[in-house]
Order: sequence, then C-alpha cells, then structure tokens
Amino acid sequence: MNDALADGAADFVPRVLDVQGCAVHFSEGGKGEPLLVLHPAGGVAPWLPYHAALARHFRVIAPDHPGFGRTPEAKEVEGVDDVAFLYSGLLDLLEIERVAVLGISLGGWIAAELAVLERRRVDQLVLVNAIGLRVEGAPIADLFAMSPPQKAAALFHDQAVARAIFSGDFDIEMIMQFYRNEKAFAHLAWQPFCCNPKLRRRLPRITARTLVLLGAEDRVVPKAHGEVYANAIPNAQIELVPDAGHALLFEKMDAGVAAIERFLSA
Amino acid sequence: MHFNLFHLMPYPYLPADFDEKHSTASLTIPNGLFDPAKGQELYNRYLDELEFAEKLGFDAICVNEHHQSAYGIMPSPNIIAAALARRTSRIKLCVLGNAIALRDHPLRVAEEIAMIDNISGGRVISGMVRGIGFESFAQNISPTRSAARFREAHDLIVKAWTTREPFQWVSDNYEFRYANVWPRPVQQPHPPIWIPGTGSLETMQWVAERRYDYLSVYAPSRVIKIWFDMFRAAAAACGYTPPEEKIGLLLPIYVAQSDQRAHDEARPHLEWLFHRGLKITPELYFPPGYLSDGSFRGLLSSGMKPFHLLSYDELLDLGHAIVGSPTTVREKLKAMKAYLGFGNLCALLQFGDMPHSRAINNMELFASEVMPAFERSGASERQLQAAG
Repeated sequence: MNDALADGAADFVPRVLDVQGCAVHFSEGGKGEPLLVLHPAGGVAPWLPYHAALARHFRVIAPDHPGFGRTPEAKEVEGVDDVAFLYSGLLDLLEIERVAVLGISLGGWIAAELAVLERRRVDQLVLVNAIGLRVEGAPIADLFAMSPPQKAAALFHDQAVARAIFSGDFDIEMIMQFYRNEKAFAHLAWQPFCCNPKLRRRLPRITARTLVLLGAEDRVVPKAHGEVYANAIPNAQIELVPDAGHALLFEKMDAGVAAIERFLSA
Repeated sequence: MHFNLFHLMPYPYLPADFDEKHSTASLTIPNGLFDPAKGQELYNRYLDELEFAEKLGFDAICVNEHHQSAYGIMPSPNIIAAALARRTSRIKLCVLGNAIALRDHPLRVAEEIAMIDNISGGRVISGMVRGIGFESFAQNISPTRSAARFREAHDLIVKAWTTREPFQWVSDNYEFRYANVWPRPVQQPHPPIWIPGTGSLETMQWVAERRYDYLSVYAPSRVIKIWFDMFRAAAAACGYTPPEEKIGLLLPIYVAQSDQRAHDEARPHLEWLFHRGLKITPELYFPPGYLSDGSFRGLLSSGMKPFHLLSYDELLDLGHAIVGSPTTVREKLKAMKAYLGFGNLCALLQFGDMPHSRAINNMELFASEVMPAFERSGASERQLQAAG
C-alpha cells in the first residue's frame, strides 16, 4: 500500500448521526470555519493526509457516503440527489448555517447537487476533478470495466505511483471493502453514467464562490467537464494543478491543499 | 432422465490473432468481425441442428439470450424459439432463458412467450436469467439493481400470465398502469419456469419456494455437488424433496467411436468454448453489485480459476465436459448423475467452432448410444400436463 493512502495523523473524532433513517458515519477534526469534505468513489478512508492538512485551518467534517466505508447502504438512496438531501439533513443536525463544501470526483458531483439544493447555505464550493456532467464528445472513462492495475494507471499521472499502489498483497477483507465501495459507486453512477443530465442547467442557481480545481493530466474526467462547471456556475474560477492526474489529492496533495486553502481564505 | 439439446449458437469465425489481441469475446470485441454472409449460413445451420433433435428423440431444445458476444449470437432467443415452433411438432421449446433483469419491459417477455406457447400448442418452457455480468454493461442496467429487477420482472410476468383482467403494476423498477397481456399462454396456469443458478443461496431459496426447476452451468463437479445439496436443503426447508427431474445440469458432451477419436475431435472445439467464447475479464464478468457480498466473498475464497486458464485436461478432470466413446460417456454420465443427483440434462452437443457434420455425428451417437442407457422419465407426463 502506498503511503499516500495510509491514514493521516489521527487527530479526528469518528462520529455517527441518524439522518433520515440512515446512520451517517463521519470524521470530524480541526478548528475553524466548517468545511464539508466529500470523498471520491475510490480511496475511501476515515482520515487521509489531505483531511489532516485541511484540518490545520478548518473544522473538517468528512462523511462516508451511503454504502461506502463505514456508512451502511440506505434503501432510500437511489441516486446522487438523494445523497445531497442526506447531507442537507446532516447540516441541519449539526446546526451549521454556512458551510464551505469540498467535493472530489464523485464527491464533487454530490457537492454541486448540494450547492444547487442549498444555494444559501453553501457559500464556498471547491470541485476537484468532479464528475456529474454529461459533456458531448468528452466521455468519462469507464472505471467499472478496468482491472485494478488499469484503474491505477488511469487515476494517477505518475505511473510509478500507480504501480506502487498495487504492488502489495490485498487480503479478502480489503477486497471486500473495495467491492462494497465499487458497488455503492455503481448504484449511484452506472446509469445515467456518472452524471445527472439535469445538473448542468441547474448550475446557474449556485451562489457559492466556486473553485474548479483540475489535475492538468486527468485521464478519467476530461478537462471539458471542469470548463463546463466553471462556465455554468456564476461565480467560479478554474485552476489547474500541473503533473496531477485524477487522483490529484493523493499524488499532488501539497499543491492541491495549498490551492484549496488559498481560495477558501481569500 | 430428461434429455435436452442445448445450443449457444456461437460465432466461430474469430480472427487468428484473437488470443493475443482480445481480452474477451464479448462486449468490446468489434462487431466488424461479424460477417453477415456467414451469419445467414450459421443461423440456418444451427436451426437445422436444433430441429434435428426432435427426430432423435430429445425432450426439449434449449436456446438462450446473450448480447454483444461471439459466445452466443442470440440476443433474442424468442425469435429462435418462434422459428423452431413452426418447424417442430412434438419437442419442448426451452428458452433458457430470457434475461428478464435486463429488460425495461418485462411484459414484452410475457407476451412473446405466450405467443410461442400458442403457436407451438403449449410446448414452451420459460427459463429466466439475470444475464451474464458483462450484459449489465451491454444493456446499461446497473448490476446493483439486477437482483431486484429479476425478482420484480418475474413476479410481473407470472402475474400477467395468470390474471384474466387488466391490472396495475407498480414496483421499485417497473410501472405499468395497464397490464393485460394478449394472448394468454396455452399452458395453465403458465409455462414451466426453469432457473439456472451459479451458487447463489438466495436464488436457490427463491427457486425452491416456488418449486421451479433449478439448473447449474459451468462449474466443477465438486462445486455443483455443493450447490445441488444446498438446493435440496433449501427445498427441504420448504417441506419437499425435489425429484431429480427438477434438478438440471448443462454439460458439453462429445461422443465418437473411440476415446482417442473423441478427444482428437472435441479438443479444439472445447478449447474454443472455454478459452475463446468464455474468455472475459473479471471486471466484466462480475461488475460491482452483480453478486451479493456473500456470493462475492464465496467466489474469492473458492479459488476457482477463470475458464480460459483451464487446460483441456483440467476441464475434463474437473467435470466441465464429458468426452469419449459411447461406453466412456455412458459410464461417466451415469457416475456424474449418481454423484450429483440430477435428472434433467441440457447437453451441449455443438460447442465452439465444431462444424455441422461433427455436431450431427455427435448428436446421432449420443441419441443412439447414450440416451437409451438411461431411464427416460416424465416426457409423457409433461405432454399430458401440457395437453390438460
């Protein structure tokens, strides 16, 4: 296992709240303005190095989406819109009136849906290599059809890192956890594939200051998706992290976190 | 024993560099490799083979549904069954099965099966399947919804066959404000339902509760033994002992005059089936959610090798096929029947790139030299049932 996927410093508290009948598990750590961090479909862990880095300046709240990690599947969750409603409920329970939301890949899609749904509550939004849109002529790579090594090669710009990720042995429990996460991802994103076709025309409703952060070498989500997000969201800017692939916050964490902190502190 | 002839209708004309260039014969292998001129010859040749089974005294001919694959070129098995209905008069027509979980309109399956049942005078057996994992990609239906869709589609189809007035259907995956299938099936209350399974306990329990026929495909004998014992236990839990005729096995079989000749002739075709036709990557075979967590864990711990990595000898040793002289095949089949306790054999007598003449020889030898060594059961009973 690569160091980048190992847990960060354990300065967080695991919490669980019953939201609309779903036991939402989340990690909370750090002090400052609240920052809801929504994880991608892969690389799900309670507290990763980028969580720890962000927790230096923010109160990081990082839930596991239904069916991922520690949170069980929820019958009522059939799509990403349901997840957005779930997190709206989570913010209610946490009595958070203003929130910055950072979403990565799948998490970016959820964050965009949440920013449409909670247009006053979400005042800052960071989308990192977000899926969620259907862009003609720029399909998202079909990760479901790839073998683990193919997936790693697609996710990382640095192929040495990609190879290292899959160099170790995986025990059955670890494979089962991967399977569970993949299953939860398929449930949300198989069809329509990785998108809500209606999301694009709803993006102009977003009032949050928005940063669209892209890995310059993302091979999974074409750059056109980030450009559509940045053009359709009224108050958005776009920034590219050089030498970073789709797994931006794993392979270029320092540069990624610096860009996020710069934007959120401005 | 029931003897059925099963046909996959493979597309045998794969390019010479298939093994090196293609990771699978399904989903991503370009359809430019399909030659329509050969298609006409193939479909008609395969239909001839299926029709010939009636003359040889088989109980049923079985066809099945596969999409975007050289492994089998019957995306619509009901079209083939309809063609067979007009060219046969006695033999049962088994669609094994319709991949109902992949359909957005299960009522279409209810309608088509009822049509064929009418055309054939009540000779249809309706198999129902979820489709192979790669078909979740091919039909763009989430594998995480496949099990629920299967159960709902089945319930809807059976209700459509057995209800005599319009009804409303609303379930998680299907909504029909008017379900009112014309024609109704000839067989009452509905055509027999056969369900193939691959070790899922949930499926076995579901089949046992409904007293349907359970069938198994493509697994080592020692594994099938476990599955059939599980199915018998599931039936016992429902308060009955399934007769052997309700437990079925799909098996490639090849008979020739001598063992040596049988192996020489069968080997390339069996290797085609397992090494080319069934060649698929694990990601396409088991997309996420296609198997329950329990079944996926079972698969990980079973140590089963992908088909295309099994040698010819391994395939035979594990019981994936029976090849030999009439005596050998009789003995091996009897031993397998005694070991597994099944009474419904779906014999795959044309497989892979086996040419027509060999398929016909195989069928004739199997019918004349192997079938008579077994007590035939239930055929007349089934016909009476259909007539009644």
